[in-house]
Amino acid sequence: MLYHNEKGEPCGLIYNIQGYTIHDGPGIRTELFFKGCPLRCPWCSNPEGIHVGPQIGVYPSKCLGQDKCNYCVKDCPLGGSPIRFDGDGILTAVDMEKQCADCLKCTESCPGGAIMVWGKKMTIPEILKILRSDRDFYERTGGGVTLSGGEVLVQWEFAAMLLEACHRENIHTCVESALHIPTEHVDAVLPHTDIFITDVKYADSARHKEVTGVGNELILKNIRHVAETGIPMVIRTPVVPGWNDDDENMFAIGEFVKSLGDSVIQYQLLPYRKMGTEKYATLNQPYPMGDYEAPERSVWEVNLLRLRDELRERYGIPVEAGSGEKLPGYGK
Amino acid sequence: MKTLTNAENLKNKDVYAHADEVDVTPLAIEPYDKEWGVGLSGNTPEPSPFPRINNILKVTARTTNGFVSPERAELVTEAYKAHPGESQEVKCAYGIANVLENTPLYIYDDELIVGGLGCDKKGAPVHPEFGLNWVCNEMRDGLMDYSEQRTHDYFSYTPETQRRLEALEDFWKNRCVEDYANSLLTEEQLKGSHAGKGVFFADAYIHCGAGHLGLDYDRLLGMGFGGIRKEIEENLAKLDLSDPKDLERHDFLRAAKIANAGAIRHIQRYAELLAAKAAETADPVRKGELEQMAANCAWVAENPPRTFWEAIQLVHLANCIILIECNGHSISYGRFDQYMYPYYKHDIETGVSTREKMQELIENFYIKIWDLNKLRDHILIKTFGNGGIGGPALTLGGLKPDGRDGTNELTFMCLDANAHVRVPNPWLAVRLHSDTPWELKVKTANVIRLGTGEPKIFNDDVTIPSMMSSDIPLEEARDYQVVGCVEPDVSGKTYGWHDAGHMNMAKVLELAINNGRCFHCNAECPRWSKCGALGRRLGPQTGDLRTMTSFDQVLESYDKQMKYWCDQMVSVLNAVDIAHQNVRPLPYLSTVMYGCVEKGVDVTKGGTKYNFIGPQGIGIGTTGDGLSTIKQLVFEEKKVTGAELIQAAEDNWVGHEPLYALVNSDKVHHYGNDDDYADDLTKFAMDTYCKHIERRPNAHGGFFQPGCYSVTVNVAHGVKQWASIEGRTAFEPVSDCMGAVHTHCCSHDIKGPTAICKSVTKMDHARATNGTLLNWKFSPSALAGKTGRDNFIALMDEYVHRKGMHSQFSVTSQETLIAAQKHPEDYRDLLVRVAGYSAYFVELNKDLQDDIIGRTSLSFD
Repeated sequence: MLYHNEKGEPCGLIYNIQGYTIHDGPGIRTELFFKGCPLRCPWCSNPEGIHVGPQIGVYPSKCLGQDKCNYCVKDCPLGGSPIRFDGDGILTAVDMEKQCADCLKCTESCPGGAIMVWGKKMTIPEILKILRSDRDFYERTGGGVTLSGGEVLVQWEFAAMLLEACHRENIHTCVESALHIPTEHVDAVLPHTDIFITDVKYADSARHKEVTGVGNELILKNIRHVAETGIPMVIRTPVVPGWNDDDENMFAIGEFVKSLGDSVIQYQLLPYRKMGTEKYATLNQPYPMGDYEAPERSVWEVNLLRLRDELRERYGIPVEAGSGEKLPGYGK
Repeated sequence: MKTLTNAENLKNKDVYAHADEVDVTPLAIEPYDKEWGVGLSGNTPEPSPFPRINNILKVTARTTNGFVSPERAELVTEAYKAHPGESQEVKCAYGIANVLENTPLYIYDDELIVGGLGCDKKGAPVHPEFGLNWVCNEMRDGLMDYSEQRTHDYFSYTPETQRRLEALEDFWKNRCVEDYANSLLTEEQLKGSHAGKGVFFADAYIHCGAGHLGLDYDRLLGMGFGGIRKEIEENLAKLDLSDPKDLERHDFLRAAKIANAGAIRHIQRYAELLAAKAAETADPVRKGELEQMAANCAWVAENPPRTFWEAIQLVHLANCIILIECNGHSISYGRFDQYMYPYYKHDIETGVSTREKMQELIENFYIKIWDLNKLRDHILIKTFGNGGIGGPALTLGGLKPDGRDGTNELTFMCLDANAHVRVPNPWLAVRLHSDTPWELKVKTANVIRLGTGEPKIFNDDVTIPSMMSSDIPLEEARDYQVVGCVEPDVSGKTYGWHDAGHMNMAKVLELAINNGRCFHCNAECPRWSKCGALGRRLGPQTGDLRTMTSFDQVLESYDKQMKYWCDQMVSVLNAVDIAHQNVRPLPYLSTVMYGCVEKGVDVTKGGTKYNFIGPQGIGIGTTGDGLSTIKQLVFEEKKVTGAELIQAAEDNWVGHEPLYALVNSDKVHHYGNDDDYADDLTKFAMDTYCKHIERRPNAHGGFFQPGCYSVTVNVAHGVKQWASIEGRTAFEPVSDCMGAVHTHCCSHDIKGPTAICKSVTKMDHARATNGTLLNWKFSPSALAGKTGRDNFIALMDEYVHRKGMHSQFSVTSQETLIAAQKHPEDYRDLLVRVAGYSAYFVELNKDLQDDIIGRTSLSFD
């Protein structure tokens, strides 16, 4: 999917830009989060990245109230009809499904940040301007840009153009993708990807489909495909206690990672953290994990370190717990 | 880097515990990349590898509360009364000598170094020469000991202590610095000061010494007190008393000789007491230690030290005596790793001592400094909470005078010592530059990541040129130490009056857009009858935003208003300076500073080489965002009129909620986001302050130096100021140091550390010759692992490369701070960086705790 702005220039639809990212690739990086994702992982901490297209997020706690403000209604071309308030005049939702002009004027006029827009169209020059301002930090640390999401390869055409532009500027690139994407779209970004970051949640396709909504055949095929090109890869597993942290699953993934050979520079076991719940609320969505509570740190940490050690021993792969260890041979 | 050879390393391997973990020079007891955890702060029992140090720590109070000790005040008074006809200098000398010769001395179990303030640990002597009335008043009003108005930094005292001090009160009336200084001040000077509306504060040294210096360590260690005595006597013999200038010198040198004799006698008394204690000690090991300590004191009372142990003993005693003479804070320890290195090397090479033994001495020395205390009034401690003796800075690393890097083993050992004792003294400063060794950066990062708030980092690459702009030659500029919280200083050659006052730039902007009148001007103001009721305004009429037609008029008005208030502040500071010279010369200090004995001039009168006064600009973020708000919303977007904006602040934003939300939102350009729009205006705000301060003559023969940091006084200035247009509500702190704005609504900097680094380094740090400071606050997760460590080092490197002068770091999670506020009993040892220094978080008052919690936390996991 490729977006364009009113001038017809190609755009990425981006919902967050995060400077000083240090855990998604080597060095100090700027991470761009692209909208849209084909997976529905229940532990997702970026629900605002799932839907394709801009979305309005609502923070009722930041609303000043209709009696004091009402700027959103005043600026709405439809007289505020999509904007919902409770009995006290506090914003509850903006209904984009019906009647909305999709003009996003209310997000501009809200002074308190109660109406946010998730997903802004940005051109390559606009993005490069932001990246250039941190160039010194990249050069000092071996950092650069990381394209992430959502699923960045939903917007594969733009990603390919942006990566090429970054390389033209000598900016190091990482792509973080779940790889449930047609292989030819993956191929489009590989020529300008320095490190590929991806993840395996379940080795078994049926379990994968049950939890994330899709099977893992395409994902595993793509991972193997990328590995065969020789591009350095970081593979991850989000280790969610009680969901996928059983030895059977983890050892099967370990076996798979081993089969990828030398392209894998690090295999990271990422601990589950309950994050993003407030963002689900802004989208009027329930947290998919419900009231799931992970065990105490002392419990999961022991298991994570045990898995790391056993995976190292059994498969001889470069496993690390967390993303705090430097990628061997990368960064400064 | 000066290090031992590989052969020497191998030879010495067995003297330290973890030799096999170290594979690179330089050597210390710990490997250079030893990790102590991230964000653990002080919460570890027995942090030191030395049982002795852990034993001492067990009886070391983690508090700055103390008690009032009346002996010093009585002994000084006695001497003044015994010498009524003498000159002020000689009288002062008899005062300090009488204290040194007669004050009680203390020796503690396990300790290897002696020295204190003539009272038990955590006791604070009283210095009536600067002012006694306030001490007695606070006792009478119940403001000295614990009360609801004073919940930390409180001082207990017995009824007898109160009676003994009150008995001296009459004598010191009109004989002290405070009374003399007040007699010099006029209504115009006072109306904007601490005694008025708090546009500026200039009262820091009105009832205490100016402090903020380091002695001349080369002089002290090279000559010893006996050598100094000889120099005084030789200069006395050279005088021609028919020359009136020499008559003045004669007075000074007599005073210096009396003070010097007092210092020698003081140390000899320790030697005698230690010998007596050794004689009655049965344990042969301790007996031997006490005998050695007695021998050390007996030797260094007059002679230059020969060993590391003698040198560290002399350094501690010589500094304690400065504090006994004058209670000014930030008496600093200079470039400790440089001047101590010859002793270290000598002791290792000759086998006199071992690396472990010297490490233990350094750790004992740190705790000795923490045991010292200083009496402060109940107003000051609200913003300078948990300061203790205050400002004992110790500088490590950096360039040597010849331009080579000076890092050595002691640099590492002194940093390890902080992690081993985890008390917030001394205040460590590591000097970085473009060629700082990687190992030192790792060591520094690891100590910072521990989260005690130590050390701060200073940048040679901007500080050295900055000092040279104050006429300091290259070699001396390269040899700078950091004094107290922030200030670069040539140790022993500078009487810098650093941190003498501060100007609230945000208040100046308020007056500049309201035609000289304060916001919220009404009959509730204590000055109303002298000011508003008569139709007057606090400041000159330089313009009114309601009627201004261009943004340039705002800038012009700010400039004029700033000039007026700088004039007032400078005049008050000069008056206090004159009071110090006339009432409280410092003969002992003069003997250990460079040049005073040679010139025959007391240090307060300009006897040493460099003589500055350094007042700070406060609230650059608040001022910059204020200017940015006006430019964008009033003159460019015209979303609001000047009248509406002022009215909103006058109404403390009540009824103006949308505007309050807007000015606090990212829809307005704000400082701290690498956005030139706001950063340029912030730079203008700071440069305007510097322009009106720099190079103005001061009363002790030098000139003024602007600084740009608040330490914690941004809280105190905020309490004096009504709401401001960038989104502050009434009485909130103004922005801290070089940092961005964080209001009760939200933080104005939202782009993360790379943007902060770039915004802050767009300011001209070199121009702030009295120093700058940026406080960083990281969540532990941002610094965890090698990834966190090395990217943090890169961030520091980039700050250095971009000519930021000085940074300090807090590494504590928001959750920990909030939990500590709720359950202080569980967090007694939690050290945090305040600004300029570290403090026990639970000892701070709630306003300051909230200010620290509110600083933008850089977290990204």
